[in-house]
Amino acid sequence: MNPEPHQGMDRRGLLQSLAALLGAAATTGLPSLSWAADAAPSFFSPAEYALLTETVDIMIPRTDTLGAVDAGVPAAMDGMMLSWASAERREEFRKVLAELDAAARAEGAGGFMALPRERRVAVLTAYDRKIFLNAPYGQFKKIVLTTYYLSEGGATQELRYKAVPGKWDGAVPVTPDTRAWAF
Amino acid sequence: MFDAIVIGSGMSGGWAAKELTERGLKTLIIERGRHIEHRKDYLDQLDPWELPNFGMVDEKEAAKDYAIQSACYAFNTGSKQYWVKDSEHPYTYPADKPFMWIRGYHLGGRSIMWGRQSYRMSEMDFEANAKDGHGSDWPIRYKDMAPWYDHVENFAGISGARDGLPQLPDGEFFLPPMALSAGELAFKAKLEDSFPERRLVIGRCAHLTEARPHHKALGRMPCQYRSICERGCTFGAYFSSLSATLPAAKRTGNLTIVTDAIAHSIIYDPKTKRATGVRVIDANTKAGATYEAKMVFLCASAIPTAQILLNSASEATPNGLANRSGAVGRYLMDHISAINLGGVLPGLEDVYHEGRRPNGFYIPRYRNLGEEKGDFVRGFGFQGSVMRQNWSTQAGILPGVGADFKAKMRKPGPWMVGMAGFGEMLPRPENRMTLSKAKDQWGMPIVHIDCGLGPNEHKIIDQVMVDGKAMLKAAGCTNIYVGKHYGGVGLGIHEMGTAHMGKDPSKSVLNKYNQAHDVPNLFITDGAAMASGGCQNPSLSYMAMSARGAHYAAQFLKEGVI
Repeated sequence: MNPEPHQGMDRRGLLQSLAALLGAAATTGLPSLSWAADAAPSFFSPAEYALLTETVDIMIPRTDTLGAVDAGVPAAMDGMMLSWASAERREEFRKVLAELDAAARAEGAGGFMALPRERRVAVLTAYDRKIFLNAPYGQFKKIVLTTYYLSEGGATQELRYKAVPGKWDGAVPVTPDTRAWAF
Repeated sequence: MFDAIVIGSGMSGGWAAKELTERGLKTLIIERGRHIEHRKDYLDQLDPWELPNFGMVDEKEAAKDYAIQSACYAFNTGSKQYWVKDSEHPYTYPADKPFMWIRGYHLGGRSIMWGRQSYRMSEMDFEANAKDGHGSDWPIRYKDMAPWYDHVENFAGISGARDGLPQLPDGEFFLPPMALSAGELAFKAKLEDSFPERRLVIGRCAHLTEARPHHKALGRMPCQYRSICERGCTFGAYFSSLSATLPAAKRTGNLTIVTDAIAHSIIYDPKTKRATGVRVIDANTKAGATYEAKMVFLCASAIPTAQILLNSASEATPNGLANRSGAVGRYLMDHISAINLGGVLPGLEDVYHEGRRPNGFYIPRYRNLGEEKGDFVRGFGFQGSVMRQNWSTQAGILPGVGADFKAKMRKPGPWMVGMAGFGEMLPRPENRMTLSKAKDQWGMPIVHIDCGLGPNEHKIIDQVMVDGKAMLKAAGCTNIYVGKHYGGVGLGIHEMGTAHMGKDPSKSVLNKYNQAHDVPNLFITDGAAMASGGCQNPSLSYMAMSARGAHYAAQFLKEGVI
């Protein structure tokens, strides 16, 4: 069998058939990792979760490809507040959301979610511009980008990902359609 | 009664066991960690979105159990199973001399998570101690090691180019080199033009760019360019004890492996001046046991190897076994590492790369060779890569939101040089590890590591930063950054020197056969044996020393000398 993967061939199938070929048992269990998009948030309050969802939707909106909400970013981030974040990190992320809300109130609104969409965009854009000076927000944005671009949709539809590239080429011509590698 | 006991199953122990069993010796490997099954226990089939937390280890767990290990670049949820819990395996260091000890206790040891860069030491490296007077003169020279480098490169499978550089000898059995990226070729051209004595070459790495018959016979296949190597490789494409040496040893029918057995001490008979066996503690039940053999290979990695020798003190050997010289635990070295530099390389927007190359470029040592001198002895090299940026490169600092930001992230970013200096540390007796009175839960004395950077190391760090910046500038890079050194030792993950080779039994621990001066049937072929470290990644030298040591040990046994 040629180990060079065929286009479109299922990656796990390939690894398992290779492993079977070699007489090994491909029995490693996969972790169940479903960020249930419709479940109630387990860490953020409903109000925080609504603000988080809107924030990531502005950051990476649906265009001709999927957006952050389509990719399950809010649910993934909510889950990671329990499965990944330290106590300090949790407070930092809460603070980022509170600061966005406060920035909206400073404009006379009842809060971020009380603003019309275009003003929410303006508030987030202004807040984002100071990312250099705002390490907690930098970390927050990094997690937004990570949970989007390393999601299955983000990695394979928005960007590109090959589980088993099979080769290395250090100089491939770029075309107008060339997308970045997710990983 | 075995012919040989090998303590440790990592890079060195795997090789010692392979060579001893292939010479007909009934060999027992004692491994302190758990059994790991090649392929079955690896998490390399998971896509990024299937990895727990997209690869990021729980911060709470990292702080509680992996305070030191989490500083390693290869620590993620795909590899977490391989790193020790610092909380369960304590050691100490002075507050002003942090020693970052990165460890893996399991069958195969750090050969599972290693960086796979594979370089020979050169004539210059074996002569260095004799020439500048630091440490002990090596009792061997390059010519003694060359055939053994050939031997291990052929079996392990080392990919690399024949670069013809005296400071980085070529191998006879190199597998085809991986290609430099377009950005690396441009960087190379500019820097070699500005600095004629500096050369940028493709890294030499322990990956099968081509599987030869003796690789295939062990079930190994060519590299698939996934670059998730620290999780273990189902293809067996990179060299590890699990993919290569242990299967080779097993097929002889002469190998026995005992896992979960912590080597406590080596038993010594003062009448015969021989080691007679090894005391172990069961990692789970904490019960003691003893194994006997005609010879012992100590391959536990530099610090535990010295720990076991010191813990083997007896009435006849009050300072520890094989420690007449007092050198056991001293001359501890690492490589000066983690001095990161980089910058954006303008141009080449019409080319990209495909596949994930598990290898980088290497700029071998150039200081104190030709015209480029330094106000220090020895030298340093650089390792790095030039790739196009993606979303992850500046994820936490890049401003921008919305459809425009998304469109920008969709395209390949600019080419970026990222590199790090790797410098030689001098062998100095005051850099040492000792045993504390306090013991761990298995009754082993806790190691205290007192190891710091000296004036020569600080000068090398300064020069790395100056030279790196100058090369980035010469290449026309923008947005140049020069990181700071972390100020400690250990993150090179190249601990060496704690039972070093030398000509003088009153000053060194091992002779030219990696044989203890004081105990003829005790051999040490891990990093402890290094009399100096060069500035190259040392694993290939441990492999070669282990094969060489095993060859002589088997010969001495046959001749009845030991």
